[in-house]
Amino acid sequence: MRIILIAQLAFLVILAAFWEGLVLLGVDQSLLPPIAKVVSLLRHLLSDPEFLSDLGVTAIEVGVAFAVSVPIAIGTGLLVGESARLAEAVNPLIYLVMAIPQSVFLPIFILVFGIGFVEKVVFGITHAYFVIVINTFAAVRSVPAPYVLAARSFGATPAQIYYRIYLPAMLPLVLTGLRLGMIFCIIGVLLTEMYASRFGIGHRLFGWGEAYQVPQLIAGVIIVSVLTILVNEAMRLLEVHAARRYGALRR
Amino acid sequence: MSIIDVRNVVKSFSIGQRSFTAIDNITFSVDAGKFATVVGPSGCGKSTLLMMIGGLAKPTSGEVKVNGEILTRPRPDLIGMVFQDATLLPWKTALGNVEFPLQLGGVNVQKRRSRAQELLTLVGLNTFAGHFPHELSGGMRQRVGIARGLAHDPTILLMDEPFSALDEQNRTKMGQELLRIWDVTRKTVLFITHSLMEAVYLSDVIFVMSASPGRIIETIEVDIPRPRPIDVIDTVAFGRIRNRIWHLISGVEA
Amino acid sequence: MKKRLLLRVIWTLAILGAWEALVRGGLVSQIILPAPSDVVHAAMTDGFTFLKAFWVTLFEIGVSIAIAWILGLASGLVAGNMPVAAIGVGSVLSSLFAVPLVILYPIFMAWFGFGSASKIVFGVLTGYFPIALNTLNGIRAVETRYLVMARAMGANRLQLYGLVLFPLAIPSIVSGLRIGTGLVVIGVVVAEMLASLDGIGFLISYHRTLFDTGDVYLGFMFTIALAIGINRGLSELERRFSQFSAVENDT
Repeated sequence: MRIILIAQLAFLVILAAFWEGLVLLGVDQSLLPPIAKVVSLLRHLLSDPEFLSDLGVTAIEVGVAFAVSVPIAIGTGLLVGESARLAEAVNPLIYLVMAIPQSVFLPIFILVFGIGFVEKVVFGITHAYFVIVINTFAAVRSVPAPYVLAARSFGATPAQIYYRIYLPAMLPLVLTGLRLGMIFCIIGVLLTEMYASRFGIGHRLFGWGEAYQVPQLIAGVIIVSVLTILVNEAMRLLEVHAARRYGALRR
Repeated sequence: MSIIDVRNVVKSFSIGQRSFTAIDNITFSVDAGKFATVVGPSGCGKSTLLMMIGGLAKPTSGEVKVNGEILTRPRPDLIGMVFQDATLLPWKTALGNVEFPLQLGGVNVQKRRSRAQELLTLVGLNTFAGHFPHELSGGMRQRVGIARGLAHDPTILLMDEPFSALDEQNRTKMGQELLRIWDVTRKTVLFITHSLMEAVYLSDVIFVMSASPGRIIETIEVDIPRPRPIDVIDTVAFGRIRNRIWHLISGVEA
Repeated sequence: MKKRLLLRVIWTLAILGAWEALVRGGLVSQIILPAPSDVVHAAMTDGFTFLKAFWVTLFEIGVSIAIAWILGLASGLVAGNMPVAAIGVGSVLSSLFAVPLVILYPIFMAWFGFGSASKIVFGVLTGYFPIALNTLNGIRAVETRYLVMARAMGANRLQLYGLVLFPLAIPSIVSGLRIGTGLVVIGVVVAEMLASLDGIGFLISYHRTLFDTGDVYLGFMFTIALAIGINRGLSELERRFSQFSAVENDT
C-alpha cells in the first residue's frame, strides 16, 4: 500500500519538476504557464459560478446516463448469462460492438438525436451499457457450480440460492463492470460536449483550447482529472471491499 | 565416497525486520551411486536444501560441497534437477524441452536432437517426442522433466517432490519407472518427498527432517534388497521403517 | 460451401433492398439513415476526396502506432524487470486510466495546432497505456518457477530473458498491442472529428454539418473497416502466439 502512495507522489513531484523546469528553460509562457499561475487559476475557477455550473451540468448528464444504463445493462447481463442459447446468439454481437469503440458513432448520434441533453445522455448510456453487460455476464458465469450444488443439496430454494450464493459471488465482478462503465460514460459525455454542445465542462475546455487560453485550460483539465480519479478510486474501494468479503467464494 | 557433503548448514531469511530460520544446522552426506531421500513435513525447508545443493542458493553459514567443490552457480553437467511441476516450456515439444539444457549449453542441433531422442526413449516417451506439454498427461510431463534433467548426463540428480502433483496410482507407477531408469543410469539421486511410502520404497538411505526450523532428526538405512518389486510394500521390514519415520515426524515416541 | 456463400449474398442484397425501400418510402428520415444508393452516390462523387483523406488518416495512425508500440513496449519491459519500480509504475498507470484522455485533446490543439501533429500525439497517448500496462504485467506475471528451472538448466542472464521470460510474457504483450492499437485508431479519428483540417474524421464531421448523410456514412464505413481490419489482424497474431501461454492442463 505504502509503495503505491509513494509512487503516485513521486510521479506528481517528477511531473511538477519537469513542468517547472521547462518553464524556467524559457518555454513560451502562453503555451506552458508556470505552476504558480495555474494554481491561482485553480482557486479562481473553483469559486467561479459559471465554471461550477458547467461542472454541474456534466455531472448531471453523467449521473443520469449512468443511472439509466446500470439497471438495463445488469438486467441484460443477467438474462444473457443465465440462458446459454441467448448467450450464444448475443455474444458475437457484443464482441463486435466492443471491437469498434462507440466514440466513432458520435456524428451519427448527433444526426439522430440532435444536440442537447438527451443526446448527451444517450451517448453516455451506450458507452456504459456494453461494458457493464459484459462484466455482468462474466460475473454470472463465474459463480462456481459446486457452491450451487452444495446449496441445493441442503434444500435451498431458488430464491435463497439467488440471494445467498449468486449475488454475493457476482458482486465483485459486477462492481468492476460498474466502475468501468462509469469511466466510459464520463468519456462519452465529455466527448460529445466537446464536439457539439453549448453547455458542460467539455464544451468549456474545448472552447479554451480553440481560443488558446492555455492557463485556464490546464487548470480546468487538472480539476476534471482529479474529480474523475476520485470517482474511480471511490468505486474501486467498494470493489475491493466486496472482493474481500465475497471474493473467497471464487476459489 | 561421499559425493554430496552438507556440513553445519544454516539458512535464514530476513523479511523486513524479522529473520526466519529455514534450516538450522544440518550435517549429512550422500555416497556416490546411492538413492537418498529427504522426508519431512511441509515447509520444513527441504526444497531450500535442494536449492543450495544445486547451486541456486547459498547457505547463510556452513558448507555445501558437491564432488569436492563448493558451487557458486548451477552446474547442469554435474547436477540435473527435476521439479515438482515439471515446469516444461509450453511452446516447445517434448523433444524441444529435453533439448533445452543442451541448447543453453551451445550444443549443436544434431547432437542435441539425437541425445534428446535417446533420453526420451529411456523414459519411454519416444513416440511422443513431437507432442506439446498441454497434450501430455501429468505423469508424462514428469517423465519429460526427468529426461531433461539427464540431458548433460550429470552425476547427480536432484528431485524436488517430482510426483506430488500426481494421484496415488500414477505416483506408484512413476516410482517404479524411476527405479528402472535409476537402475540403468546409476546416478546419485537426492529425492525430496513427504510421502513416507515413496521414501521407503525408493531409497537406500532416508534423512528424516523435522518441521521448521529444519533439522535432521535421524538417518535411516533401508536395507531392503534390490531389485524391489512393488509388493515389497507388504513386508514387515517395510512397514517397520515406515512406522519409524512416522513416529519421528509426528513426535510420538516409537 | 458455395451454397453458404450464395445464401449470404442473397441475405445481404435482401437487407440492402429493404433498407433502400425504407428510406425511399419515407419511413426512415434520410437525415438519420441514408439509403444505400445515397452512399453509393457519395462514393462516386466524393470517392477520390475520401481516399485522399483516408490516406492522411492512415499516415497519422501508422506513425502513432509505431511510436506507441515502441514507447509502450520499452517502458513495460524496463519497468517489468524492476520489481519495486513495476509496482509503482503499474499503480500510477492504472490510476491515470480513470482520466478521460479526451480532455487532454484541447491542450494538444493549443500546443500543436490543427494538423497531424496533435492527432499523432493524442493517438500515441491513447495507445500507450494498454501496451505499457500489459507488457509490464505480462513480465511480472511470469511464474518464478520457470526462471528457477531455466537457471538450473544453466541459462545465463541473456538466455533467461530472451528464451524464457520474454516468450512467457508474449500472450499478455500481444493482447496489449491489440487493445492499444485499436484505441489508437479510434483516438486519431475522433481527434480528427473534433478539430482538424483533413482526414476521414474531418470529412465525416464536415459532411454532417451539411447533412450529407450519404457522405457521413461513407466515411463511417472507411473507419469501421479500418477498425475491424486491424482488430482481426491483431487477433490473428494473438492466436498465433497463444502457444506461448503457460497453461498446463491437468489431464
